[in-house]
Amino acid sequence: MQTSRRRVAAVENNNRKHKPDYVLLLLCILLLSIGLIVVYAISPGLSKQRNVSENYFVGKQLTAIALGIIAFTITSQIPTQLWRKMEKPLLYIAGAASVAVRLFGERVNGAYRWIQVGGLSFQAAELIKFALLIWLAGFLSNRIREGQIANFEKTLKPLLIALAIIGVVVAKVQSDLGSTGVMVAIMASMVYVAGLPLKRIAMIGGIIAIGTTLLISSTSYRRDRFATFMNPSRDCQTTGYQACQALIAVGSGGVVGLGLGKGVQAYGYLPEAANDSIFAIFAEKFGFIGVTILLGLFLAFFTRLKNIIERAPDSYSRFLVVGVLAWMSTQTLINIGAMIGLLPLKGITLPFISYGGTSLVFITAAIGVVFQISRYTSYSISNIQDAEEKHRENITDGRRFRGAYRPGSRSSS
Amino acid sequence: MTPNNSGDTSKSNPILRIQIWYALLIFVVIIFGTRLFYLQIIQHEYYSKAARAGQLKQYEIPSERGVIEAYDGSSIVPLVLNEKRYTLFADPKYIKDPRKVADEVARIIGGDANTYEAKMKLDTRYSILAKKIEKKQKEALDKLDSKGIGTREEPTRIYPQGDLAAQLLGFVDNEGVGKYGLEQALNKQLQGQPGQLRAITDAQGVPLVANKDNIVQSPKSGDRIRLTIDLAMQRQVEDILKSGLDAAKSKSGSVIVMDPKTGAVKAMANYPTYNPSEFYKVEDGNTFNNASVSSPLEVGSIMKPLTAAAALDQGVVGTNTTYFDPSRYKIGDATVTNIEEDGGAGTRSVADILELSLNTGATWLLMQMGGGEVNQKARVAWHEYMVNHFQFGKQTGIEQGYESEGTIPDPIKGFGLNIQYANTAFGQGMTATPIQMASALSAVINGGTYYRPHLVDRATSSDSKESIKKPEVVSRSVVSSKVSGEMITLMEGVVKKNYALYGLDKPDGSYSIGGKTGTAEITKQGGGYYEDKFNGTFMGFVGGDSPEYVIIVRVNEPGIKGYAGAKAAAPIFSSITRMLISSFNVTPRN
Repeated sequence: MQTSRRRVAAVENNNRKHKPDYVLLLLCILLLSIGLIVVYAISPGLSKQRNVSENYFVGKQLTAIALGIIAFTITSQIPTQLWRKMEKPLLYIAGAASVAVRLFGERVNGAYRWIQVGGLSFQAAELIKFALLIWLAGFLSNRIREGQIANFEKTLKPLLIALAIIGVVVAKVQSDLGSTGVMVAIMASMVYVAGLPLKRIAMIGGIIAIGTTLLISSTSYRRDRFATFMNPSRDCQTTGYQACQALIAVGSGGVVGLGLGKGVQAYGYLPEAANDSIFAIFAEKFGFIGVTILLGLFLAFFTRLKNIIERAPDSYSRFLVVGVLAWMSTQTLINIGAMIGLLPLKGITLPFISYGGTSLVFITAAIGVVFQISRYTSYSISNIQDAEEKHRENITDGRRFRGAYRPGSRSSS
Repeated sequence: MTPNNSGDTSKSNPILRIQIWYALLIFVVIIFGTRLFYLQIIQHEYYSKAARAGQLKQYEIPSERGVIEAYDGSSIVPLVLNEKRYTLFADPKYIKDPRKVADEVARIIGGDANTYEAKMKLDTRYSILAKKIEKKQKEALDKLDSKGIGTREEPTRIYPQGDLAAQLLGFVDNEGVGKYGLEQALNKQLQGQPGQLRAITDAQGVPLVANKDNIVQSPKSGDRIRLTIDLAMQRQVEDILKSGLDAAKSKSGSVIVMDPKTGAVKAMANYPTYNPSEFYKVEDGNTFNNASVSSPLEVGSIMKPLTAAAALDQGVVGTNTTYFDPSRYKIGDATVTNIEEDGGAGTRSVADILELSLNTGATWLLMQMGGGEVNQKARVAWHEYMVNHFQFGKQTGIEQGYESEGTIPDPIKGFGLNIQYANTAFGQGMTATPIQMASALSAVINGGTYYRPHLVDRATSSDSKESIKKPEVVSRSVVSSKVSGEMITLMEGVVKKNYALYGLDKPDGSYSIGGKTGTAEITKQGGGYYEDKFNGTFMGFVGGDSPEYVIIVRVNEPGIKGYAGAKAAAPIFSSITRMLISSFNVTPRN
């Protein structure tokens, strides 16, 4: 009974509806399981360091996964176009969360990142990432529809303002360069795919480079981190400690690793063993073979996202997935890059694997959004340009364009 | 869309752009993979070593030091025990609020909060705040929820008997090494076997169990040592020594009480003494020395009984032999004379030599060993007795640190040997320690067996194996048993004649008490002797049918007038003799 309605909706939008991407889901489950196993394996060491019971970390991680499944279940049922309506509420909530973190949050190293909500710690930056990608998808697809993608006033200026806000809120107040990097990567990737002229992107890149340099040189611990990054063995006992211990963990893993229960670095040597440094712990336990498999899983996951982008039913959906892909991939690479000494330490989690509730919940929520999109394929993948033309024609009849999704959304909610 | 729409189609094609973007992603992942290959496979050895360097800890687990106990009458009481004390240290890196933590520490262990605060601000990872804090304080500190301070267990020796037998015991220094006395001599045995730990540990140094690289060897506690010392006797001997020294206006002195039938030391007292639990407060390092074994002296006339014993044992004189004593002998350029009260020249016996303490008599005894004169034959014969019978000039092997050998002049090499040897016949020009004298006298009066002097009665190892120390015979032929008996009688004679001078009651024959005084000249640094400084010595025994205790008394430079041996040392001997008879069941003669 729903099939006929769906077909109507699909036909009207030049889309075909089909089974969602279960392979994507399977990859996410695999990655989550790996994370849970590693957290479980290092629980004895972690709990001893923090003086909590051995089940503490696994319990919290299971709670986070449960919350993640709930988040996924909800977002995977929300019709894609409905997110357009959530842009503003999400931005307001993200803004409110940022203010709350500044006012009531815990101050660590001069940064405000966390807020305690009913026994759970909440990281505002994760919400900001999610809100940012929802807003950008809508913003960019609208600009494309309007043909204003290269317009300075209409496109570039708002983007620069958004960048400035991120710079102040995330980089400065929350002092979270890692998350800033991920947000910038999300913006850059989406804007690039949206077709913003490369010159403009280069210009924005220049601004970011200058801003980053200023930020690094203005904070002493960042200067230290950067100096450490340039020469990690410079001071393994103090500023370079985590970087050195991470390299030791990775390097001592060898080809096959020390084994699941055998690693030692999680016993107080490598800081943040369950969070930021979990990749190094994984590498120590499972060696090059394990790491290759893990990178393969991530790459397969990214490839699935890329495929969904390529056959996305419309530019809004496409931008959403581009944002998710940019988010997941840059966060993965920034995290791993720091662990293998190719990037400075940033303090961000490895998607799916790291222990940490907020990150996990928003990541699974984003996957839910993608999962919903993966149910649709554009009929005219081969000539996406034509589809874009059609979208542009639709602008003249925006009511019809939007209305077209309503039956679909009713049927799936 | 854009003005350059048609010309720039490929560049702005979103699918193409995402493919370029994806290609870039793959490229980065490949770089990461290459880097991982480099780190995990090419550099694996290097990082494995680095990991081991950080994770593998190797250290000793200290073993518990053996306790020392002794007899107190028939019961056994502890002399030295161990107690856990703690060193409190800070890791300033982890102390957020030094003021607050310092106040808390001062509240619990006392002391100055400002000092602690200053130590908590030092640029170090290990700053010692206090030492030897007690267990209660440690537990209170553990309850503080302060990051950055910790305690380390430091085993500490405690002394339930205070400073009793301090020099005999010695002490254990801050590194856990025994110093002086028994602690030094038996350091290895007391120390036990430290355990070894070679283990992969967590960052705090706690070994991770179930790791094949771990080697754990439990420590073996040191032996429990029981002394031959009787503490009841030791206490009284120390008291008698102290009051005797006060009476003689002497600053220092020693007493040994030995069982002549075994060589076991029953009491060994020195003055001044110190408190071993506060050894670090002692300013003069000499105070640590057990003078009874470490500080040799020219023994003076207490040598004469041994000279007599040697001559009797060689058969060159008999107890009935008499001779004409000219009251002076010229030997080379030097002259041997006697003290003023010698009664001048006359016919003397061996008994007279001892009773009157004749230097010329001792010289005459030496002459008999050489066939009538002091010559090489006499010197060699007397040297043989001093070194190989009485065991002078070498360590006795008693369980004490820094034992001295004393010096006996060579009988053949050197100048002026004849006068030098004449001097040794009455205890000058040679040195011996009180323990050497006690052991030699014991051999002379016990029938002729030299037992190694010892302080350890038995040792019990950590696995409860008890080894009782048997008296060790060094020589069975010091003198013949006939001479031994003769010597007892001769020395009893000395006491019979001089008891009043020594402060003893007139011997009633129920106990055997013998002895000999010595007033020894003290060598100046750079040669010669002081004219007004002497050491007073006394060597004697008390018993019934046979001697039960040998007693050696030494009083350094007494400040009172008169012969040091008789005036300063003899009263101490007398007091000890009385004390032994009244408190320690000396069996009377049948």
